[in-house]
Amino acid sequence: MSLEIAISPEASSGKRISIAGSLDSNTAPELQQRIDAEINKSITTTIIDFKGLEFLSSAGLRVIFKTKKMMDGRGGKFLLLNLQPQIKKVFEIIKALDGMDVFKDQDEMDDYLTAMQNKVIDGD
Amino acid sequence: MNSKSQNRQSVTLQNKIAECEKLVDLWTNYAKSNNIPDDIKNDLRLVTEEIFANIINYAHKSDDIQSVDIEFSSDTDSISITFTDTGIAFNPVVDCNKDIEQDDHCEGGMGIHLIMSLTDHQEYNRINQRNVFTVTKYYTEK
Repeated sequence: MSLEIAISPEASSGKRISIAGSLDSNTAPELQQRIDAEINKSITTTIIDFKGLEFLSSAGLRVIFKTKKMMDGRGGKFLLLNLQPQIKKVFEIIKALDGMDVFKDQDEMDDYLTAMQNKVIDGD
Repeated sequence: MNSKSQNRQSVTLQNKIAECEKLVDLWTNYAKSNNIPDDIKNDLRLVTEEIFANIINYAHKSDDIQSVDIEFSSDTDSISITFTDTGIAFNPVVDCNKDIEQDDHCEGGMGIHLIMSLTDHQEYNRINQRNVFTVTKYYTEK
């Protein structure tokens, strides 16, 4: 099974990476290349949208963790969205969801981003 | 070997990432023709990918193309998958029992943790200069 990758702009210098299909040993390098090319230093928020992802292996997880580390290193946000049950299970087995910003759907993430934006506006 | 085993299927693949897709197709067809429940089918798809990827990445030098034998075997209680490779001796059950911490996703360690978590029994033997690694999943909790 192949991996479909769509990268779209988000508000406030953000990028959404929507992945569908299978993120495995075969397809993980392709995702890594796209992230390396698109998530440059000007990007302050990276959202990984898992809505269409059916399969995830440790090779794919390594790409996710590497991207999180990169965003953390530059003080940016790294958000995970729409984890399907079989994908969430893989994260849970390796106890990787602690410390991650995970949102079950778009509304929940929008609420979070709005709250963060208001904090900035209020000067908190 | 389990004397109750009824349905076996074997395949030999090369230790190349491109062969992963072939392995997934073989597993999917085997699971379908043997009525393997969906949750077990999905768990063992991940397990087969992780074991095969470990062999590809660590058993041989990167340009050394070798064969990997894979056998699926199922009976009324369980399903077993055996991988046999000619790589360096490596017992994943004891050699890679690493802590899984978020900042310590060492090469291979995550995959081994997934394999151990998603199967009920793992057995490693070194036979005739080959690694023989079998994982078993029971249809019901033991």
